[in-house]
Amino acid sequence: MTFTRRRLLKNAAGLGVLAGAGFPHIWIKNADLASAAAGEIKVGVLFSLTGTTAIIEESLNKATIMAIEEINAAGGIKGMKVVPVVEDPASDPATFAEKARKLVVGDKCVSVFGSYTSASRKAVLPVFERQNNLYWYPTLYEGRECSKNVIYTGAVPNQQQDEFIPWLINKFGKKFYLIGSNYIYPKEENNYCKKLLQKHGGEVVAEEYVPLGHSEFSSVINKFRSTQPNVIFSTVVGDSVVALHRQYHAAGLDPAKMPMASLTTSENEIAAMGGEAAAGHFTSAPYFMVYESPENAKFVAAYKKRWGADKVTHFVSEACYFQVHLFKQAVEKLAVSDITPPHIRDAVKGQETLAPQGKVRIEPENLHTWLWPKIAQAQSNGQFKILVQAKNWLKPLPYAAYPGQVCTDKGLVVKS
Amino acid sequence: MPLHNSASSSASGRPSIELITILVVCAIIFAVPTLLNNDYLLNKLARYLVLGILAMSLSLSWGYAGILNLGQAMSFGLGSYAMAMTLKLKTVPVHTGPQGLPDFMVWNNVTSLPWFWQPFESHLFAICAGMLVPAAVAAALGWFMFRGRVTGVYVAIITLAAMVVLNLVIIDQQQYTGGFNGITDLAQLEYFGIAFDAYSRATYYLVSFCLTGALLLAYAFTQTKAGLIIQAIRDHESRVRYFGYDVGAYQIAAFALSAAIAGLAGMLYTIVMEFASPTFLGVQLSLSVVVWCAVGGRQSLLGALLGAILVAGVQGALSESAAFVETWTLVMGALFVLIVLFLPKGLAGLAGSLWTLLQWRRVDGISPVRQFHQTEGGHERLSSAE
Repeated sequence: MTFTRRRLLKNAAGLGVLAGAGFPHIWIKNADLASAAAGEIKVGVLFSLTGTTAIIEESLNKATIMAIEEINAAGGIKGMKVVPVVEDPASDPATFAEKARKLVVGDKCVSVFGSYTSASRKAVLPVFERQNNLYWYPTLYEGRECSKNVIYTGAVPNQQQDEFIPWLINKFGKKFYLIGSNYIYPKEENNYCKKLLQKHGGEVVAEEYVPLGHSEFSSVINKFRSTQPNVIFSTVVGDSVVALHRQYHAAGLDPAKMPMASLTTSENEIAAMGGEAAAGHFTSAPYFMVYESPENAKFVAAYKKRWGADKVTHFVSEACYFQVHLFKQAVEKLAVSDITPPHIRDAVKGQETLAPQGKVRIEPENLHTWLWPKIAQAQSNGQFKILVQAKNWLKPLPYAAYPGQVCTDKGLVVKS
Repeated sequence: MPLHNSASSSASGRPSIELITILVVCAIIFAVPTLLNNDYLLNKLARYLVLGILAMSLSLSWGYAGILNLGQAMSFGLGSYAMAMTLKLKTVPVHTGPQGLPDFMVWNNVTSLPWFWQPFESHLFAICAGMLVPAAVAAALGWFMFRGRVTGVYVAIITLAAMVVLNLVIIDQQQYTGGFNGITDLAQLEYFGIAFDAYSRATYYLVSFCLTGALLLAYAFTQTKAGLIIQAIRDHESRVRYFGYDVGAYQIAAFALSAAIAGLAGMLYTIVMEFASPTFLGVQLSLSVVVWCAVGGRQSLLGALLGAILVAGVQGALSESAAFVETWTLVMGALFVLIVLFLPKGLAGLAGSLWTLLQWRRVDGISPVRQFHQTEGGHERLSSAE
């Protein structure tokens, strides 16, 4: 064995660095436990700040934090400050579960706002169901979930497609090419889409799924050419959205003849791909940054002022923003001693607020949200142009694709 | 000790000391719940202990057998899915279809339980499968590699690639595996009349028990003749082959044992986390295991185990402290660089150095500084000088 005094000193120094970094933390009882005192309301904020989905989730974190700051600036809730406990789940489902436990069991937060992907929501679900806490989930998703511990403020398939599909058939034709990322969300959206196509006389020329994160679409684009669909219905997510649009653009296909109709392309994705690649394609969502309402003007101005003039708002960050205000309204209805997750859940049922997209409401039956569907076309400046606005808000039907199954406040009911 | 490698002399030259240290650490782990009355922290610690078992399993194959398995998480994930499958079939059928079919199968229009799911109705089958399947897969992979005398970086590449392939298959075959979302909404494991709630002491003790068992098993293996031959192969493969040993068979055995222990860790992880996810056999986790081993000391089972607990703990603490929430990945990276530069044998190497230093002091009371100068060549020379 060869070692010298210098080696030993170096070794000791190395250990010192480690010890200084806070190793004893896990052995010490969590000091935060004692501070769940009166005068403040602790809520968790659980969006990834690092890892693969960090770019989009950071914008959700920002919208949530801004809403909390607004509430505190206006005197808090019943004179109490809302204290956000921010954690970074690093785009990893296991870390999501760990941080959710920390927020719920360790910090005793009365609610947690978080998640972008369904995978991360599924990972934290056992924590919230077992601890009977409350999770506020802002993203559009595939529906088919019936939990008493999640408030869903994003769109479900019927809210994005009911108006969109007939409109597309009417305007472009009945041949649809379904392309999605290979996981449960696109599959469920397409299940619902196929039902609508059947009802309105459309047809599916191809249904294809690419791996998550897929970025090579030349073979897909060749199939677009050979099948000549009237509409490319896209539920591709994440970086693949950017790749698909850019390669479609580079291949010289014409959005006026064969547009992509997406449920997932927002201002955020367009900022990443550049307006040229996005221009001419369509998206259906409850919110667009250009929507004209006093609430949205205020929201966009405040967001840019707080986070930078180059920042964009989009349909998920808007849901993040208004769900915090719904939380506030629910807590305001409760006596201070009653501020617990189950009471907040009961109080939020039927709550309405004027969101940037219009007046929204939590459906008491299934804890999803009444929203205002809109259809818009992307422009080369990176923004959308809204073409169709629903005349009425639309009830959330998370089980719309499954006749006979209804989500009620007693859980999923199957009518035979 | 005939082995010339200096690290192995510190690892296997004083078996009794190492065994005592292992037993003391295990006793401390068992004693923690009496000191710590907090379910959340126990759950968190249980998770770190599981990661510790995983790192220890890699130390067995990397540190002792010299097989750098970059796909160690493959065995971990297989174990995790085995446990998740059996627990999924016990879920109260809230979201399930006819005959208690798992929810994700209903979503993917599967109408009956696939044949390879059916034996998982039995917990016992699942527990056996959780260790034997990874071991069998590793043995098959090992047969292919070691019979073909594949060594070094190619082993690392093959194991990593095999894991990535399995990961992609799991994500793609979502009608049978739950795909990207993994298998969620699980029942609790109930065995011997005990319900292993993730937040309960029972689960913590289960993890501690498995950890002790796995650690002692791995330690015992390193002390057998086979264990010594494995280390000899690591140090000089062709010389051992020249002596007439069947090098491939020993490597396959060590590789499979390591995989079985990783499978056990995976099963425990599902119990502690309450779900299984394709990220459990992802590249990120798999490479983290290598880092934990490097930090703790890959040629020490206990070092690797404590390395994992330490790194995961520091990572958790840093990312949760307000000061580091934005920069914790940077801090972790800097720490790893420092450790690789200054502690090439990890913390176990440091502990070994300190121990040797203490021993000299005890032997003859000569100042260790003088001893250092006299025994630059290591302690073999010290004993010959006596």
